[in-house]
Order: sequence, then structure tokens, then C-alpha cells
Amino acid sequence: MRAAAPITQPRLSIALGLLLGLSVGSAAAEVVVVVSKNSPVTALTREQVVDIFLGKASRFPDGTRAVPIDHLEGSALRDEFYLKFAVRSPAQVKAHWSKIIFTGRGQPPQEIANAGDMKKVLAENPNAIGYIEQNLVDASVKVLLAQ
Amino acid sequence: MRPLPPFMHSSIAALALGLGLVACATATGARADSSASPQFLFSGFGTFGVVHSSERNADFTYTAVKPRGAGFSRNWSPEIDSLIAAQVSASFTPGLSAVVQVIAEQNYDHTYRPHVEWANVKYQFTPDFSVRAGRIVLPIFMAADTRKIGYANPWVRQPVEVYSLAPISTSDGLDASYRLQLGAATNSLQASIGREDKRFPSATAKARALLTVVNTIEHGYATLRVSYARARITISDFDPLFDAFRQFGPEGTALADKYNVNARLMSLIGVGAGFDPGPWFVLGEWSRVDGQSIFGRKSAWYVGGGYRFGKLTPYAAYAAAKADNLSDPGLALSTLPPHLAGPANGLNAGLNELLGVKLVQDTFTVGARWDFVRNAALKVQFEHTRIGAGSTGGLGNLQPGFRPGGSLNVISATIDFVF
Repeated sequence: MRAAAPITQPRLSIALGLLLGLSVGSAAAEVVVVVSKNSPVTALTREQVVDIFLGKASRFPDGTRAVPIDHLEGSALRDEFYLKFAVRSPAQVKAHWSKIIFTGRGQPPQEIANAGDMKKVLAENPNAIGYIEQNLVDASVKVLLAQ
Repeated sequence: MRPLPPFMHSSIAALALGLGLVACATATGARADSSASPQFLFSGFGTFGVVHSSERNADFTYTAVKPRGAGFSRNWSPEIDSLIAAQVSASFTPGLSAVVQVIAEQNYDHTYRPHVEWANVKYQFTPDFSVRAGRIVLPIFMAADTRKIGYANPWVRQPVEVYSLAPISTSDGLDASYRLQLGAATNSLQASIGREDKRFPSATAKARALLTVVNTIEHGYATLRVSYARARITISDFDPLFDAFRQFGPEGTALADKYNVNARLMSLIGVGAGFDPGPWFVLGEWSRVDGQSIFGRKSAWYVGGGYRFGKLTPYAAYAAAKADNLSDPGLALSTLPPHLAGPANGLNAGLNELLGVKLVQDTFTVGARWDFVRNAALKVQFEHTRIGAGSTGGLGNLQPGFRPGGSLNVISATIDFVF
């Protein structure tokens, strides 16, 4: 059902975003989306990842519950993740969650402080999904998507 | 001390519950870890804003709820957009949660007494199906339930042409939400049934059998929604006027039957769409109200957009509203004996004052949002409104020198924040 066109469009938007100074400015390490090595999920599209992290989808494509885990607000990795995958600045993400929180519809994802804590949470919960720097990937996690 | 009207008792009870929850949250600590004990989250938002209006013989108030605004009462008014809101969300079990939100802003009686905006208990049957009981803000327009969260909105305030169409905003009752994944699209259906007593400076509008259905489809960067609402509206403050009309025989009775606001049916349909790929956004809405009584048929639409240059987002919008009958010849004075012509003329004037409140106008808006720090944004906005002949443009505090129609310039500056 999904046409090929939407794949190129986000790239264009990302390029536009970078041109317009939405970038966090540092040459940060590449962000990758990860789940536990025990998770049955093997692949997600960029749109599916974004829907899970913005609270629009509560399940993986196979129907199992998806539990997004975020890095702390203000961390460079988090800003990079939302900029690259959702084409959203920190203020846009904040505004998005403000609408959800202050209409009683939900709360933003649980937050962890670093990649070590992220791997710990993923190992404990096969429904959890997170993101880390690519150079910190090890055998405990499975990479679903790179930027 | 005067006895409190019943609606204030319920408001105070809900406020007491809210404050109790705040106290619990403070005592428990903001984020408890154990899932066995209740968890409380405290958060809030607010706006400090000032507004200037070019019309000195009336007040620009944005909403008929607020008795004071910019123009006549003050050259620059902080009373239109400024507000502060505090919210406590409580999670008791994985499925059961509650939320109480209290807002302090200019009230219908020109006090700043905090009022309960949201107070409900939610049960989440599945991640995609939930039911709430209590008070909710109705999502009859695209941003109706988020209109007071300045930080979440692209402009200073939602276009008055569309957002003033309905005299209702909240519902005390039940509502259910169901979300369905349709391929890459998400479909959300929300339905509610309830009631509302809404206070205005000189009247109370009671909505009964208040029913709403809203369906939203989101696909990637696109959002499309349709909404329907209906209610029986009663404004008994207008009864004396229509009772007086009934003293004037069949002609007066016909006018009273046509325009009275006693359990009269009002329905609303709305369509909204938005596209936000990140660096820019566009959104628009159209809505129509069919009301018996003085409300008649009215419709409005707007379209707006912005471009994000990093932390600076300039934006522009255009909105227009039209309404059926802004005036009525009323009782024919020529056929009345002289001693009745005077009172009849007064009744006609009273009726036409109510009819002229409807918006017939269009507005050009330009502005900019600057996300100068995390959690806060500064907005500056200019609006030019052309008011249709015979319409008072939704302005309040009309002074003897005021003339309907004409044009209006409004300048606003706000700082919005969330915490």
C-alpha cells in the first residue's frame, strides 16, 4: 500500500531543515534505533518509529505493545534523534507533548540518562524500543533503523 | 455572605479535589517508581500577554466570556491572553488514571478565581480504547481542547471567526476514544455525551443532551478531521425579552417563538486539515453552526501557515465568518397605538442587539514566534479585521460612540511557557 514517493520526501525535508539551521550544530555520532536482542521485531520504517515515539502508535506492526524509551530532555542525542527521524526541533516536540499532556491524553515516554541505562531497560523489557549512538551498539541490542 | 449558585459548589468541590491531589503529589514526590502505588505528575502552562486595539469605543476581548479587554477599558490589556494553569495527573493502576487542571484567568465576573478546566477519571481498557468520566474540554474544533495552551499553538490565539461559532466549550459527562491503525495511517474516533453551564458576563448558557463525535486521521505529516456536535441550548436570561414580545399578540408571539433560547437545538459540523513536514506548516478549518433561535445559521473558515527559520517562525493567516440574519424589523410600529410603539421599539432594539453579536467579518493576521529558550516562546502578532455592516465584531463594552461595521487593528505580544 505504501508508495515509493514518501521515502524521498523526508530526505528532502531533512535537507531543508539542515539548510534552515534546525541542526543541533555538532557532528554527533550516528543515531540508531534499537530493541532488545530478544525482541521479535526485526524492522521498522522511519514513520513507524516516529509514530511510536510521538505517542501516535502504541503497537509494533505485529501487534505487540511498543514501549518507547527516551533520552533526557536537553541531551544532544535526543535532539539529534527527533531532528533526523521526525524532522522536529526540540520546541516542536515539546509543543506536541504539551497538547497531549494538557488534554489528559497521555504522558511522554520514560526517560533514561545514558546508553548504558538504555541497554539495561531494553534487556529487561522486550517491548521497549530506544535509540543510542551507533558506536555503542553491542550484542545485547538489535539495530532496527539507522538515520 | 450570599449563598453560592449550585454550579459554583461543584466547581469548588472539583477545585478542592485538585488541590488535594496537588498536596498528595508534593508529599509523594513527583515521580514515584513503584507501579503498585499511585503515581502523581505535576505540570503546568501559562501565558503572559498584552493586547492593543484600535477601537477606543469598545473592548476587544476575543471571547464573550471576558468582560474587559483592550480598547475602551485599557490601551494595552493584559487581561485577554494572560493565564496560568496547573495540572495534576494521577495514575492509580496501569489502566486507571485521573487528571485535574485548574486555570486562573479573567473570569466572566472579572475575578481571577481559579476554575476547573479539566477533571476526569480515565480507564484505559486497551492501549487504543479508553473511557473518561468527568469534565473534558470538547474537541469540536481542531485546537479547541488545546486553545489555552499558548506554547502548543502556532499563533497568539485561534482565529475568533471559527472558534467563537459555538457557545459551548466543555462537557461534564462521559467520553470514549478509540484508535485504529489503518496501514500507515492512524484513525482516532472520540465521542462524548454530557452537559455544560457556561457563564457569560450577563447570561448563562446551558447546554443539555450535548453530544459530540470527532474523527481524526493522521498519516505521516498530514492530519484530516471531521467533527459533529449538537446540544439543546437554554439561555433563560433572555426570557423576559421574549415574554414581553408575547404581549404583542400573534406578531409578537411569532417573533418570540422564532428567536427564544429555551431548549433550542444547535448543531455544528466542522472539517479541518493540516500538513506539517517540519520546516513549514499549513492548516485550515471550516465549520458551520445551524441554530434555531437567535443563533441562526453561521459559518466560518480560516487557513494559515508558517515557515520555521530555526527558532524563528513567521506566520500568516486569513479567516472569514458569515451569518444569516444580523437584524430583524421586529414588531411593526406603524400599526401600534402610540403608547405601545415606544415599548415595542425598545423590544426591537433588544432583539437586534442580540442578533448583531454574530460575527460577519474577515481578518488578516501576520506574526512571528520565537522559541528563545527551552519551554518558552515569544509571539508578536498583528491583525486587521474588516467588520461587516451591522455587526459589532464580537466586541464588548460598547460605548455610546461605537458604530457597528468598520475595521479594527489588534496588536498582541505574548510569552507562552510550559513547566
